[in-house]
Amino acid sequence: MNDSPMAPPPRRGLLRDLRHMLLFAGKRLVALLLTVLVGVYLTIVIANMGGQVDELRLVQIRSQAAEAVRADPAFQDLSSEERNELISRQVSLEVERLRLDQPFVVRSVDYLQRAMRLDLGRAEQMHSDRGSREVYDIIVERLPATLLLFGSANLLVFFVSVFAALFLSRRYGSTLDRSVIALAPTSAAPGWFYGIFLILLFAFVVPVLPAGGMVTAPPPEGRWDYAASVLRHMLLPLVAMFLSSIFISIYSWRTFFLIHSSEDYVEMARAKGLPSNLIERRYILRPTLSPIITSFLLMLIGLWSGAIILEQVFNWPGLGSLLFQAIGHRDTPVIIGGVVIFAYLLAVTVFLLDILYALLDPRVRIEGGRR
Amino acid sequence: MGDAPLLRVDDLQLHYQTRQGVVHAVDGIDFELKRNEALVVLGESGCGKSSLAKALMRVLPRNVHHQGGRVHLGDTELTALSDERFRREVQWSRMALVMQASMNALNPVVKVGEQVAEPLRVLRRWPRRQALARAAEVFALVGISTDFMTRYPFELSGGMRQRAVLAMALVAEPELVILDEPTSALDVLTQASIMNALKRVKRELGTSFILITHDVATSSELADRVALMYAGQLVEVSDAERFFSDPAHPYSQMLMASVPKLRQRSRPQAIPGQPPSLFEPPAGCRFAARCPHRFAACSRDPRAIRLAERHRVRCWLHDDTQAGGGA
Repeated sequence: MNDSPMAPPPRRGLLRDLRHMLLFAGKRLVALLLTVLVGVYLTIVIANMGGQVDELRLVQIRSQAAEAVRADPAFQDLSSEERNELISRQVSLEVERLRLDQPFVVRSVDYLQRAMRLDLGRAEQMHSDRGSREVYDIIVERLPATLLLFGSANLLVFFVSVFAALFLSRRYGSTLDRSVIALAPTSAAPGWFYGIFLILLFAFVVPVLPAGGMVTAPPPEGRWDYAASVLRHMLLPLVAMFLSSIFISIYSWRTFFLIHSSEDYVEMARAKGLPSNLIERRYILRPTLSPIITSFLLMLIGLWSGAIILEQVFNWPGLGSLLFQAIGHRDTPVIIGGVVIFAYLLAVTVFLLDILYALLDPRVRIEGGRR
Repeated sequence: MGDAPLLRVDDLQLHYQTRQGVVHAVDGIDFELKRNEALVVLGESGCGKSSLAKALMRVLPRNVHHQGGRVHLGDTELTALSDERFRREVQWSRMALVMQASMNALNPVVKVGEQVAEPLRVLRRWPRRQALARAAEVFALVGISTDFMTRYPFELSGGMRQRAVLAMALVAEPELVILDEPTSALDVLTQASIMNALKRVKRELGTSFILITHDVATSSELADRVALMYAGQLVEVSDAERFFSDPAHPYSQMLMASVPKLRQRSRPQAIPGQPPSLFEPPAGCRFAARCPHRFAACSRDPRAIRLAERHRVRCWLHDDTQAGGGA
């Protein structure tokens, strides 16, 4: 039993881990695909109001056809019966083209198939700035603006708050710690609220920065000038978002680290006489890496949706205002397209998270595969 | 009998600051421990046993209000060392601690063997192979298969985790190991086998132990000496034989009477009343309020009275200058 003084060969453990990992990843992939399927289908049903939107469209098609026939001088001398017949023929053609004659349940499944294949179709009323009516083009055009602004703001908030929180958890109860806690309620106001004040201050009282938009009106020619202009435009919304979330974020991370630095194994590590930076790294950060990465990736997911009001306040051409407009226009393909892309990104992120969890936490890796 | 004690503790004090006031958790404790001796510190919950362990090991919470007294380990005055020197020269290499709730004392995301070897690698800068080989030796010593070295803590049962923590405490061959309630969360059979492992370690390595517990029956297995703690003070310190057969302090006598015995007619006797609050410990004898032999002298603090060689008791009944009932 105790004959081998060295540890058993490591390969066995590694193979075991690998097998568990693959099994685990496969299961998660299937589950996530199902989740996306259900999510997208629900969106299709809701965005079409369970088929109610079809009736609106039918009325719209009918009135458009009537309008077209009435306005066309070629049909001026037809009798009203003939004209009505013509209208109904055109309506039924259009209905057939859009397959509105089929029950909604059948079409929703058809819609689902295309959505899952990322075939997002054409918008009904909206179009991209370049004039394309492809939903895909409309969304992709807005994506970089959203990613740039929200990406830099959230990354900044995340890293600043995690490191500040680690620092404060070491100085629990100090004046600095107390003042950060006292400032936490400032996060009750949303980013756009700070935005309004910042615009007032820095665009009007002391006019040093632009009040809104993403670049100056005729975009600068040179690449560097363009970048500088974008940077100047994103400064105020960035600061607004940073201010509205930094203190609560530091506060919650600090509490998180404080809780985890009183775990029994951290106490034990202190009793073992390990140096404090090693304790921080191996006994506080390492076991809590999974929740830290979770919140990081969830923050990244949050990026994809933008922020409706902040984008309006700063006149920022992002995804948040796009979805808002699409809902206003009842442009179902755009709404569904946005949700489909969001659902896929969410699923990919969650899948990545699962894998990372398993890599980081042996409890997930081994027990998860066993189940 | 002239050999110097391994551990000498004089007037050790540890008070905590809380919202309700200052807690006198350890309030003037003296004792000595020889090499290869096992001292059992007995006491009810909340009497300051764990604080004693923490004070000795310098694993203190943030709200320490006052710390006092002297601790000598061999020739080193521990209380005179800076935190940094204490950490580098004493902690774990000369004195190790197995904490209460050691169920959760292992890092959940690091393999058990690595954790056991860690003190050697970090504190003594041993190479990984050598440290792991040494860890395997201690695993065998405390009775776990070395297969478990590559497992994670959650894959081990409670008893095995306890042994792994014990292995971790022994890995650097310290002179003294402090065990704080090492078996209280385990079933009787596991308790017994861990006590046997401790006895084997004591015999083979010559380690000294301080075993802190409320479990009179289990601790009697290992004890050479017994110290009984009450409300932050030691009320009796004596040889184990003597303590278990003929305790001198009224609290010791009542405690022994409260231990249930298997299949006997005698009912265990509870001690009426509550231990005093540690916020404002009463002047005089702290046990007086619950003591059936209370008399006039008890309103003054009893000093430690020497009954025999290495037998002290904190009770006026045993002081000849007091005309008491006498023992």
